Amino acid sequence: MTSSHLSRRLAAAAIAAGALTASAASHAEDVTIGQTFLASGLDAAEGSNGWALVSHGIAEQLFRVSREGEVVANLAASATPNDDGTWTVELAPDRFFSDGAPVTAEAVAAALNRTGEANPSARATAGRLSFTAVDDDTLTVRTEHSTTILPSILAEWAFPVYRMEGDAPIYTGPFAVKSFQPGASIEMTPNAHYAGAEARPDVTLRRIADGQSLALAFASGEVDMAFNLPVETLSMLQTTGGRIVSFPVAYQYMMWMNTRTPALSDTRVRRAIDLAVSREDLVTAAQAGVPATGAFAESYPFAAGGSLSHDLDAAAALLDEAGWTLGEDGVRTRGGEPLELVLYAYPQRPDLVTFQPVIRAALAGIGIAVTTQVTESPGDVATSGEFDLFLWAQHTAPAGDPGLFLSLFFETGAARNYSGWSNAAYDSLIADLRAEGDPQARIDLARRAQEMIAAEAPVAFLVTPEWHVGLSPALAGYEPWGSDYYVIRPDLVTAR
Amino acid sequence: MTAATAQLLGRLALSWLAVVAAAFVLVRLMPSDPVEVFLAHVNVRSGPEIVAAYRAQWGLDEPLAAQFLHWLGGFVTFDWGVSFETGRPVAADFAARLPYSAAIGFGGMVLAVTGGFALGFFAAHRPGGLADALSRGLAVAGQALPAFAAGLVLLWVLGVQLRWIDVFGGGSVERVLLPTLLVAFFSLGPMSRLTRAGFAEVKRSPYYRTALAKGRSQAGALWHHGRAAGVLTLVAGLAPELAWIIGGTAVAEIVFGVPGVSERVVQAVNHRDYAILQPYIALVALWVALVLQGARILRRTLDPRLP
Repeated sequence: MTSSHLSRRLAAAAIAAGALTASAASHAEDVTIGQTFLASGLDAAEGSNGWALVSHGIAEQLFRVSREGEVVANLAASATPNDDGTWTVELAPDRFFSDGAPVTAEAVAAALNRTGEANPSARATAGRLSFTAVDDDTLTVRTEHSTTILPSILAEWAFPVYRMEGDAPIYTGPFAVKSFQPGASIEMTPNAHYAGAEARPDVTLRRIADGQSLALAFASGEVDMAFNLPVETLSMLQTTGGRIVSFPVAYQYMMWMNTRTPALSDTRVRRAIDLAVSREDLVTAAQAGVPATGAFAESYPFAAGGSLSHDLDAAAALLDEAGWTLGEDGVRTRGGEPLELVLYAYPQRPDLVTFQPVIRAALAGIGIAVTTQVTESPGDVATSGEFDLFLWAQHTAPAGDPGLFLSLFFETGAARNYSGWSNAAYDSLIADLRAEGDPQARIDLARRAQEMIAAEAPVAFLVTPEWHVGLSPALAGYEPWGSDYYVIRPDLVTAR
Repeated sequence: MTAATAQLLGRLALSWLAVVAAAFVLVRLMPSDPVEVFLAHVNVRSGPEIVAAYRAQWGLDEPLAAQFLHWLGGFVTFDWGVSFETGRPVAADFAARLPYSAAIGFGGMVLAVTGGFALGFFAAHRPGGLADALSRGLAVAGQALPAFAAGLVLLWVLGVQLRWIDVFGGGSVERVLLPTLLVAFFSLGPMSRLTRAGFAEVKRSPYYRTALAKGRSQAGALWHHGRAAGVLTLVAGLAPELAWIIGGTAVAEIVFGVPGVSERVVQAVNHRDYAILQPYIALVALWVALVLQGARILRRTLDPRLP
């Protein structure tokens, strides 16, 4: 055993002893948390388990996204690019798996190489990542495709750190799994080797798939936290006690405009539509959320500043300029063709269906006739390009970096460029963004990209939605943030 | 094994194979590709390399016929593969969930059959009476009320207002009690009406009138001469209900947060998780075939005059 190992073992023993003593002195009250989702399994290399395990506070990555929307070091201390295109990752000191074993470079490399082999999602952003332990605390990371944003990649859900003990993975998060019933519940206990364990409660995480049932479970007192309550249940819950906290999430609501259609190929028409939609009215219709300012929720450092305009006169003027004249029936025509558009939404996001009549009314106000359609297969319709307008919900910065969304949905020919928009200057800017490693420069580039999108409006960013969390007095101090990526965090403690 | 039994088993096997083959194709004709659905769900950059990797991992890159043969070989040897969505073995997933669905489905059906038979008897005994009105009311309610809403009302009254039961956090019995009652509620009315019809037919028969003429009470005569007919009618109507016993519990499982098979299948439809859907359809097809055949044999046993 090296001296580093020895010191870590001693530190682990000290933390464990402290935690056990404190636990015996004052054990935090047990809590039950109800959610509509639950990890499907405990192996982070399988399916999308990694995402759920991090969200549940069981697993952690080398880097994570902070409350402020920044990528910050977690199990790692730093990541530094090398001249040969590789990266050097230094581990943070005194971090332990829940069985007390220290987090070493060798363990991290073994886990992440195993995940990279098993899970294609771990190869999505920069191809296959190869991890090699240099010493106890240092790793070299070789990426299949060069990248300037390795910390952000390592903050993706596919990269939790673990150590296999036989067939069972052991994680580093603030809570450790006591028992697991797939599809139903996970019993968790504070990880005794995680700082501050004595203040954390035992947690039962229970899956209640239906939002209405979740609200009733909260009303009956069966759960101390009900995560993501339907907005229509809030008034009922206010009469039954308990605190409801609403918080903005990063699943932006937006509306694609198909630039391949004759009417919407004209930037002026798209701009007019963007100007005609009142974000405030949409917020009122959804009963929650805030008007979007751009592609990203305002909590992110690369969010666009200011507000998106609502100006019916300017919208009408743009349509006039584009040759669409207002007829007596209130619908604009050009060359005998009426300005009629089909607006799609999908029921998996009920707010989007709620938006449809609001947008139809808004566009009718400037002479655009809209018919609405609902599809169960949004991906198919969006990919087929057989739509005019399409209401969409998307987490736009899941790993705290703007690059994924801005390239995947807007670059020429990109896999999810649903609007069919193409702009050489934009593509060039995204190439710069891809090559840029300086965080502030990336923020500036991301903001410029959003300005370019706003100028040509292949999409109208509409609303940053809010989710609602019910909290019993036991968890009165809990503050939700991070959408559903970080629900249970180290700061989950019971009220004294 | 007699020739007739062999012929019966052969016919059952062929029917089952035809159904699962058709279902295999139909499932793949559903809109939305499972890989795209998964990648959109988990917010992953969906380049062609990643899509190809998932298609290969999930066996979707093979020709359809090869996929079917591969799946069929695995199914009959109990190697049901792993779920696209979770990566967990499908057989283990089903094994863990089946007890919940079976308890809810069979429990609900036993309550509905016993309660429905009794109610149907009394409804036939006193047409227009209280039992008849209740039977008719339950049948109409079963058709008219949305099961989801009824489940939420049950939850609200018993779990929230009265707090008689820990719906989500209680033991196994507590967890399946309300779902079982919900399933029973929606089958009780139809069962009682079927039974009533069987008994009512007997009331029009000469031997029933003869029994009355001999001095038997109305109830005694109806029970003595009508119970076989009541059972026969109930069995005829029960077979299709039993066939869908597992699938029919979906609403109850979702409302009450029970981790059963049906609730899992609803998730699988949303995720286009063929690995879950295909064995589910195969099991349901097998179950339907067996139940219908079993019901036919039972009816012939009860009334040898039936073809």
